[in-house]
Amino acid sequence: MALPAVLLLLVFHYLPTLGNVVAFKDYDQWSGDTAIEAIVNSRWIGFTNFAELFADSQFWDALRNTLLITTFQLVFFFPLPIALAILLNSVVSSRLRGFIQTVVYLPHFFSWVLVVTFFLQMLGGSGLLAQVLRDNGLQPWDVMTNPDTFILLVSSESLWKDVGWGTIIFLAALTAIDQNLYEAAASDGANRWRRLWHITLPGLRPVVVLLLILQLGNALSVGFEQFILQRDAVGRQAAEVLDTYVYYLGLLTQDYGVGAAAGLFKAVIGLILILVANRVARRFGEEGVFVRS
Amino acid sequence: MDNPLAGAAANRRSFLSLLGLGAVAVAGSGTLAACGEKAADPGTTQQLDKLQAVLPKFQPLELVQPDIKGVSPVANGFTKYPSALVDAITEKPGRGSTITTMTPFWGQVPAGPGQNAYLDAINAELGAVVTPGVQDGNTYADKLNAILPARDIPDVLCIPGWEISKIPNFSEAAKALFEDLTDHLAGDKVKPYQMLASLPTVAWGNAVWNERLMAVPWPTDGPYPWALFYRKDLVDAAGAGIPKTAQELYDFGKKMTDPGKGVWAFNDVQAMVEMIFRVPNSKDGWGYKNGKVLFKYETDEFKAALEFMAKLYKDGLIHPEVVASKGADAKLLFSGGKIAMIQDGVGAWLGMQAEQQKVTSGFNMQPVPFFAADGGAPLVWGSPDPVFYTFVKKGLGKERTEEILRILNFVAAPLGTKEFELVEYGVEGKHFTKGADGWPVGTDLQGKEKADQFRFLAGTAPTIKYDARVPNYVTDLINWENAAVKNLEVDPWLGMKLEMPAEYVKVKQPTEDKVKDIARGRRPLSDLDTVLKQWRDGGGETGRAHMAKALSDAGR
Repeated sequence: MALPAVLLLLVFHYLPTLGNVVAFKDYDQWSGDTAIEAIVNSRWIGFTNFAELFADSQFWDALRNTLLITTFQLVFFFPLPIALAILLNSVVSSRLRGFIQTVVYLPHFFSWVLVVTFFLQMLGGSGLLAQVLRDNGLQPWDVMTNPDTFILLVSSESLWKDVGWGTIIFLAALTAIDQNLYEAAASDGANRWRRLWHITLPGLRPVVVLLLILQLGNALSVGFEQFILQRDAVGRQAAEVLDTYVYYLGLLTQDYGVGAAAGLFKAVIGLILILVANRVARRFGEEGVFVRS
Repeated sequence: MDNPLAGAAANRRSFLSLLGLGAVAVAGSGTLAACGEKAADPGTTQQLDKLQAVLPKFQPLELVQPDIKGVSPVANGFTKYPSALVDAITEKPGRGSTITTMTPFWGQVPAGPGQNAYLDAINAELGAVVTPGVQDGNTYADKLNAILPARDIPDVLCIPGWEISKIPNFSEAAKALFEDLTDHLAGDKVKPYQMLASLPTVAWGNAVWNERLMAVPWPTDGPYPWALFYRKDLVDAAGAGIPKTAQELYDFGKKMTDPGKGVWAFNDVQAMVEMIFRVPNSKDGWGYKNGKVLFKYETDEFKAALEFMAKLYKDGLIHPEVVASKGADAKLLFSGGKIAMIQDGVGAWLGMQAEQQKVTSGFNMQPVPFFAADGGAPLVWGSPDPVFYTFVKKGLGKERTEEILRILNFVAAPLGTKEFELVEYGVEGKHFTKGADGWPVGTDLQGKEKADQFRFLAGTAPTIKYDARVPNYVTDLINWENAAVKNLEVDPWLGMKLEMPAEYVKVKQPTEDKVKDIARGRRPLSDLDTVLKQWRDGGGETGRAHMAKALSDAGR
C-alpha cells in the first residue's frame, strides 16, 4: 500500500536531490546531448560556488532579512493560531463555530497577488483607509511603501492568510484531550483559567513542540511571491530574502551553480535547526519529531 | 549612507565560525579553487553585415497597393480590403505529416485538431496535421526554461525576442537544439519559398546565431518600443493640454491627479521619461558620444531624468497601487479612468480601444506625440528587431525540414492572398463575414477557435491593416509613427548582435534596484555616484569594454 507514496518520494524528491551536485560544478547545460549528460560533463569545481556565494554582500543582506522576518514571525505570530484554536474551541454553537472557521480558513486559498491586492485596497494610498482619511481632511500615511515597517506588513499579510489554516491541527489536538479531565477539575473548583493552564495547554504541548520543530526546519523559507510583488515598493534592502536572491542571481542570470549552492546552504541550515530543536525537545521530555530506537 | 559591506563582513565571519564553515569557505576560495576556477562567460559579438552570405535574397512581393505609406521602418497601411484575392500557393505544402508546434497566446487556449474547425480548415489546405501547443504568453519563459534544458522541444518552436534576451548563452542552446536553416534558405535557395523571401533582410539578419541562419523571423511593423497613451476624452474634459516639455508633463500630472476622486496621472513612466530627457538606449541602454562608450546611468541626461522621476514619485503623481505592488494592473486602472496617462507598448492600443469603447462610451485613447524635455527635437528609441523567431527542431531530416519551411511559407503569405485570409480570419461564413466596408468581421466561433496558432509561426511582410472596430486606427497610428521616424536614435552598434559578458549581466539587477531606490526617494539623488561606482567595479567596465571592442572591430 505504501508503494505509490514511496514511488512519489523517489521520483519527485530523492532523484531530483541528486541534481544538487551542480552546486559543486561549473554547470553548463549545453555540454552534452541530454540534460543528465550535461550535469555529468560539467566541470567539478569544489566549493567555488559556495565561496562566490559567501563573498557576495547581497547574499548576507538576504540572509539577514530572512532571519529577521522568520524570528519575528516565530515569536509574535506562531502563538496566535493556538490562541485562536482555543478561542474557537470554546464557541459552543457548532454552527457559529463552523461559520467562523470557514471565514478564517478562506484566505489560505487566495494567491499572494490577491492577498497583496486586498491589503492595497484596504491600506494602500488609493485604498479604503486613505480615502476615509482624505474625506475627513486628514493626510493618509502609506504603510504599503514604508521599508521600515515592511516586516510588520508582510507578517500581517501572512497572518491574515494563514492564521485560520494554522488552527486546524490545534483544533484536532484539542478534541483529543480527555473531557473527563475538565469535568473532574471543574468539580474540584478549578476556574476557567486554571483549567486552561493545567489541562488545555499541557494537552497541546506535544503538538506545539512538533510544529515548532517543523517550523524551524523551514526557517529560511519565508516566501517568494509575496516579496517579489512588493520588492519595488520598499526596495531591495528591505524585501530581499533568500528565495528572491536565488531567483535573481541564480535563475535570471542562469548561474545555476550558485543558485544550487544557496539552496543547499538553506537545506543544511534547516536540517541543523531541526536536529538541534529535536534534541532540545527530547531533553525537556517531549517526543519530538523522531526518536532513535 | 552606511557601508553595507561592513555589516555583511561581520555577519559573514560570525556566521561561518558558527557553522564551522569558515575553513570550507577559505578552502573553496584558495586551494580548491586552484583546480576549479569557473569559466567566465566573456560574451559574443556578431557583425551581421559580414554575414550577408547566409541571408536569403530579398524578393519583394506587392500584391496590393498600400493606402497609407509608412516612412521606413514604419510599415505601410491598408484601409481597403483587396477586391480579388490571389491564390498564391497552388501546390499543397504538406506531405501528410503530423507537426507539433509551440506558440504563445495571451488568452483562452482553444481545442486542438479534430475539434477545431479553424485548425482543420488550414490543415486541409496545408495537407498536414499541424498540432499546436498553445502556451500562456505571460509565463512563456517558465515553459521555455523547462523544455530547453530538458531538450524536449516541439518540431516548430516560436520564441519571442524579449524571451531570447533573457536566456544566457542562447547561441549554445540554438546550436544544440535547432536545425541550421542556412542551407535551405541562404541566397537564391530561398526562391521556392516566395513569401519568406519577401520578409525584410534586416529581420533575417537578426535570425543568425553562430554565424548561421537559425530561425525564421517575425518582422516588426513599427520600430517604437514605448508610447505614452492618454485618455483624450478625460484630458479634454479636464482642460489639460497634452505635454510638449518635461515641465508641461509635470504640470499635466499635477492637474490630472485628484486623490479625492481616486485619479492619479501616471503609471510607472520611467522609460518614457528617460526617452524625453534623451537618455541613450541602443542595445539596452548604451550610447556613443565624443569617442566614448557610455551606459545610460553615466549620462547627465539620465541624472536629469531620474531627478524628474523622483519628483513624480515624491509628489504622488503615480498611482499608489502601481507604486506598491507588481501585481497592480495599470492597463485596468487606465481603462477605468483611474490613471490619466500610461506608458505602454504600441501594441496595447488597438485591443484596448476596441474593447473599452464598448464599455465606456466616448473612450478615446491616443498616443502623445514624442517630445523632448526642453521642447526641442526629441530622441526616439527604436529597434528593428523582429517580434518572434521560429525555430525548427534539430535532426528532423531534410524532407521534414523542407515540409515545415513550406508550411511557414504558406503562413507568411501577405494581405491580398487567399492564404492570408484563411490564416488571419478563418473560413468565410464560419469564422468571419464580410462587413459593409468589405473587411472580414470575426464571429464568435473565430474568437473561440483562433489563438494565432498559425500567425505566430510566421509573420508576413510588415503591414498595418484596417480594423473595423476602430476605423481610424490605421491612419492615426501611421501618422503618429511617421512623424517620429526622423528623430529615431541612431544605433552605433546597428547590425551587430551582442551577447553580454556574464559579469555584466549579473550587475544589472542590483543596479536597477538601487536606481529604483533613488527614483522612489529611499536614497538621495547624490547617491547616484556611489551606485555608478559599484556598477563600474561590479561588471559595468567589463560590459563597456565588450561594447567598445565590438565598435572598434567593426571599424566604427
